[in-house]
Amino acid sequence: MPSPLAFEKRESPLRGGQIRAFAVGVVVALLLGSILLLVSGHDPIEVYTKMFDSAFGSRRGISTTLTRAVPLGLAGLAVAVAGSMGLWNIGAEGQIIAGAIGAAWIARLGPDLPGPLLITLMLVGAVVGGGFLALGPALAKSRLGVNEIITTLMLNEVAIRVVRYLVNGPWKDPEGNNFPIAPELPEQSALPALFERANIGLVIAAFVLLAFGVYTARSAWGYELRIAGSSESAATYAGISLKAKVFTVLLLSGAIAGLAGGIELTGSSDRLVEGVANGWGYAGIIVAALALMRPSGVAAVAIAFGAVQVGGLSIQTLGVPAAIASILQALILFGALSAAVFTNYRLVRRSTRSAAAAVAS
Amino acid sequence: MNETTVIGLLIAVLEFGTLLYLAALGETIAEKSGVLNLGVEGMMAMGGVAAFWAGVETGNPWVALLVGVIAGALFSAIHGVVAVVMGADQVVSGLALTIGGLGLAAFLGQDLVVQAPGARFEATNLGPLNDVPWIGEIVFDQTAVSWIALALGVIAWFVLTRTRVGLILRAVGESASAADSSGTSVVKTRMIAVMIGGALAGMSGAYLTLALAPGWSEGTTAGRGWIAVALVIFGAWQPGRVGLGALLFGGLLALEPRLQTFGVEVSPILLSMLPYLLTVGVLVVLSIRSRHRPSAAPAAIGQAYRREDR
Repeated sequence: MPSPLAFEKRESPLRGGQIRAFAVGVVVALLLGSILLLVSGHDPIEVYTKMFDSAFGSRRGISTTLTRAVPLGLAGLAVAVAGSMGLWNIGAEGQIIAGAIGAAWIARLGPDLPGPLLITLMLVGAVVGGGFLALGPALAKSRLGVNEIITTLMLNEVAIRVVRYLVNGPWKDPEGNNFPIAPELPEQSALPALFERANIGLVIAAFVLLAFGVYTARSAWGYELRIAGSSESAATYAGISLKAKVFTVLLLSGAIAGLAGGIELTGSSDRLVEGVANGWGYAGIIVAALALMRPSGVAAVAIAFGAVQVGGLSIQTLGVPAAIASILQALILFGALSAAVFTNYRLVRRSTRSAAAAVAS
Repeated sequence: MNETTVIGLLIAVLEFGTLLYLAALGETIAEKSGVLNLGVEGMMAMGGVAAFWAGVETGNPWVALLVGVIAGALFSAIHGVVAVVMGADQVVSGLALTIGGLGLAAFLGQDLVVQAPGARFEATNLGPLNDVPWIGEIVFDQTAVSWIALALGVIAWFVLTRTRVGLILRAVGESASAADSSGTSVVKTRMIAVMIGGALAGMSGAYLTLALAPGWSEGTTAGRGWIAVALVIFGAWQPGRVGLGALLFGGLLALEPRLQTFGVEVSPILLSMLPYLLTVGVLVVLSIRSRHRPSAAPAAIGQAYRREDR
């Protein structure tokens, strides 16, 4: 039996639809999350209040939220840059790791360099590391048309094992009590503090996001990117070299994610560990999707997700597992994805639709 | 290297092969209908935690397995509703299913971490058959789930290639609009395929927590769901080839903790990268070959279908 309801395309997309969809996603997530909390014997109001308070209630909380938003925002931007051309970089998680490895390598090579020089070189190493991991998928996609979703995804698992190998083997800290960790980074490699827990990494990330936002919106390069993303034939007709574009964009995407790994290592951790990417690469894909691949949106969603993660950690004192943060992030996405459909479509009864069609003909 | 270690290795190859094959077979069916589901890891975790819980509650491994299968199928329906019914992006929805599934399984299973298994699958007792050298010791020293996996693989091959139902499923995955024109419900077909995929991923998770490594802990799926996604491509979307791939990748997983016993000096961590690198290699080779002949991938994979857009 056919469903009594059907989607009908709107004549023009609903204005402000994406912001509305995001709001719907947040509401849906909070509602379903509270059911889960109630069932497991927690007071949702108490939990949500504590989450919000820890993320935004103090200068210290805000600084932690913003620091968490840095890797989320850069990973989101990495995905968005590729996504605006219709390409999927699912490999941000691995590229963050590769970036952190690149930065850690520089620190091993020049542990006595002065701070500013060492930090700069480490961040360059991170960019190169992230780009290096994206090189294979970029070449395969642009030369042979190999699906980049799967190649970038597979390399995540490879990168995780490379860092696992390093901290268990050649880079293992001899004084680390046999823990799988690399030695402590040189003291002068730490990014300067900004306020409370935030460091200069926040400024770097904000600058990169802003620069990309302005550049892709204003430059011919950004225009060509969007053309190539909307229609392959239009791009070819306009004389845009798709192969070169695909290659650069994927490489650039990897480099941006790599930078996130470099900032994470120099800013928030004192040594290379296996969990350096912490799921930010995967969360970045959700961030970019919610932001419709726009840099400005990426910044906003990254801060929101940073807050959810900080809040998730804070409620462990109430006996609620931190995993609630992952659940909420996924629910926000499912809610927003579903709601976003109504930006371009509306639900109609099948009978009225066919009646209207009959009148029209 | 003696006979016992070799037999131990081969037993483990079939065990890991079973784990991977169940999940990869489910993903093959979903992808054949045109739906990419990157949520395998999350569905496995949900099936695993649900089955382990049911085992503790009932003490019956078969009930527990069934609960795992149902949990996987129900959880995959989220991807079905969002990506198939609503037509949202399959890549993002599937990834969110993995993130949410891992989170939800950890949340629901927090009190199960310290629990002893309430039920587990033991190797089947086939009497004298178990004593047959090599064959009996390896092939018959498996749980019933491995036999189920083998049977499901044969059924999937038969249905996909020899029946009308299989033809409809493949038609939806090759060209949704053509299938729709001929009177097939694209949404219904894809929804069912996604939920079969979820059921099998759930069974794979249940096999993990009831047979392969009885117990529950956060992160117990350890990225095996991604190997299953890789296997589908490696096996060119064919149940038989996916099965051979499962034995190969299962072999690599089984070899990992045993490398040193065999006197190999290579780090087992480096060996564990091989499944992923092999899959990338296969993709590259396939795309070079597909310049001369059509690709094995379902043509409509990843594309949402709305009749209204036609």
